Amino acid sequence: MFYDIFIAPFVDMVEAPDFLMQVLWEGLVSGILYALIALGFVLIFRSSRIFNFAQGIMVVFAALTLVGLYAMGVPAWICVILTLGVMFVLAVAIERIVLRPLVGQPDIILFMATIGITLFLIGFGEVIFGGENKVMITEELGIPTGSVLLEPFGGLLILEQKDITAVVVAALLVVGLLVFLNRTRMGRAIRALGDDPQAALSVGISIQTIWVLVWFIAGIIALVTGIAWGARAGVSFALEVIAYKALPVLMLGGLESIAGAIIGGLMIGILEKLFEIYWGQPLLGGNTETWFAFVLALIVLLFRPQGLFGEKIIERV
Amino acid sequence: MKHFTKLAAAALALSVLAGGAAADETEALFVPNLAYRTGPFAATGIPLMNGQRDYALMLNARDGGVGGIKLNFEECETGYNTQKGVECYEKTKGTAIVTQPWSTGITLQVLPKTNVDQIPILAPGYGFSPMADGKVFQWAYNMPGSYWDAASMILKYISDGNLDSLKGKTIAYLHLDHPFGKEPLPYLEKMAADHGFKLEPIPVGLKEMQNQSAQWLQIRRLRPDYVIMWGWGAMNAGAITEAVKTKFPMENFVGTWWSGHDADLNIVGDKGKGYKSISFSRPVLDAPIMADLKKYVYDKGDSLSNDEERSGVFYSRGLVISMILSEAIATAQEHFGKKDIGPADLRWGLENLNITDERLAELGMTGMVAPFKTTCGDHTGHSGGWILEWDGTKFVQASDHLMPDSEVIRPMEVEGAKAYAEANAPWPVNETCSAEAG
Repeated sequence: MFYDIFIAPFVDMVEAPDFLMQVLWEGLVSGILYALIALGFVLIFRSSRIFNFAQGIMVVFAALTLVGLYAMGVPAWICVILTLGVMFVLAVAIERIVLRPLVGQPDIILFMATIGITLFLIGFGEVIFGGENKVMITEELGIPTGSVLLEPFGGLLILEQKDITAVVVAALLVVGLLVFLNRTRMGRAIRALGDDPQAALSVGISIQTIWVLVWFIAGIIALVTGIAWGARAGVSFALEVIAYKALPVLMLGGLESIAGAIIGGLMIGILEKLFEIYWGQPLLGGNTETWFAFVLALIVLLFRPQGLFGEKIIERV
Repeated sequence: MKHFTKLAAAALALSVLAGGAAADETEALFVPNLAYRTGPFAATGIPLMNGQRDYALMLNARDGGVGGIKLNFEECETGYNTQKGVECYEKTKGTAIVTQPWSTGITLQVLPKTNVDQIPILAPGYGFSPMADGKVFQWAYNMPGSYWDAASMILKYISDGNLDSLKGKTIAYLHLDHPFGKEPLPYLEKMAADHGFKLEPIPVGLKEMQNQSAQWLQIRRLRPDYVIMWGWGAMNAGAITEAVKTKFPMENFVGTWWSGHDADLNIVGDKGKGYKSISFSRPVLDAPIMADLKKYVYDKGDSLSNDEERSGVFYSRGLVISMILSEAIATAQEHFGKKDIGPADLRWGLENLNITDERLAELGMTGMVAPFKTTCGDHTGHSGGWILEWDGTKFVQASDHLMPDSEVIRPMEVEGAKAYAEANAPWPVNETCSAEAG
């Protein structure tokens, strides 16, 4: 048993380094997509203290809108612009109809409201688009669909071009987001509202505008995530389930930290893949990805309740 | 007084309307479907439910139902969730003559309840394989084939009929980590032990259906000779795209009959060429029934389906499943000499079904399913099936008619049923029926 746990996995890694590289690559791709979903949660939580349960269904809704518009004969890139428009309208509607009447209510009420948004979007999406699995318009968007075959250490490493594209686009999105939050007036306003809502309001920052903005940015992230995941296995309501994988990312990285979401996502993506391949499958019968991330997050919470990068919240009583 | 008269008149009008509605209800057989058009499994559920629904609508429009009584084909949405499925069962069982649970998990949950409620379960091609033993499972039916049948036919196909030729080979069994995915394991494990091949079960969690890179990395490391897939819902598309990505030879990749959905293969198109799926049904687009469906349902705008879906394997299977139910109703009506049958009458109809080539021709469904017959001891019928292969745009037939290995399966069914009854004792058994005779 000692050998199987502590020696054999590392022997496997050394004996087949190309396979190890493949595992790391797959982990990186999954991780960056987890990080994207987690970013949507973090942005909204930072600015409004709302845990947005609807982020997963927003991914589905954005992807379905995109392929739905394309099915109506709209050119692919116009579909992207129109989908962004739909996500903006959704952000405005959520702020006006759901959030504004609940300003000042306890956090749990706002959280419950996002569950309501989830249920509404599921029903509305199914009525408009149907529940069938749809093909993502990958090639139409100019995303390459072939493979890059490399032969490191005399072995084989397969890199899907659409995965490479997803990683690059996600990285650009994260950089863009960081620049926006740190270098623009609106970005600083979002951070200010998250840091001290009362002070932010007192200097004239509009809570309504900021909420619309962060929900819209979460919508943009949802669209990018939907395209990336949809290109892998089609667009269906099953995509929503993947969003739950962002929960341990948030627990690990902290609810308020953009860096935490990114690093937490990458950590979980890579570690769960390594554990599954070298320990889970040989020793536990596989399918450890279902629980590994939660156990890892739980261990982190035992030592750092605020997550690896979260801020310790001290409330005066 | 005037006010009271008005109220009395309104009450009278309502009672007349209510009476009328009640009369209408008794003039229809309530055959609820525990459907799932929402959630992660909706993509595969919708075409099946549409096929079932359209067939029932056609019977109502063309023949006034079955034997002169209409079918009330109401759906209760489960989202493929076992808990919701049980709620739907409880909600509909009052006046229903059958329950169609549409999930192995829901079937296993309602199985003991149906003994008490005395309502037949119709689970065509799914559920618990030992349900075939009608002596033990008096109220459960999974004709025309069980999961053990499907596994047997797949092994027969990949071994060219000689399972000993699989000796020394490795078969990866990629399955949903759910009662449905685990169901064929006892049969596959026995075959692996008897015929000397290595079986490698690879579970896919519900949250990992669209992210199966770890499972396919394992397959790459194992280098199996074949991959057999027991997938459902989003798992199928996830597996097929990963197989394409890892360049697994498609001709050695075979799925069960719930893993052969056209829309899942459309995602990979040409790259999925050679992928196969066992099937107990086939689409026959020029079958006479299709013309009747067009005339009585599609042209009236009553169908929820579309042309593309109607040409697919799953829609056609939905038609076959509703045909099985309506034929059981007709059989019971004829036997008992009444049109308004109850659940116990339908049970008789379900275990005395005889779907012959002649009957299929009369129904306009020649070739859509193979002939089969049920008895009180055999609730499965074991019709056999065909291997369908994806040609890049659609599934086409790729084998002659295959039959499951009943010599191996039948004793396993009887043994499995006995073990279930003992584990759930006291379990009522139909002593008048011989399972072995099945």
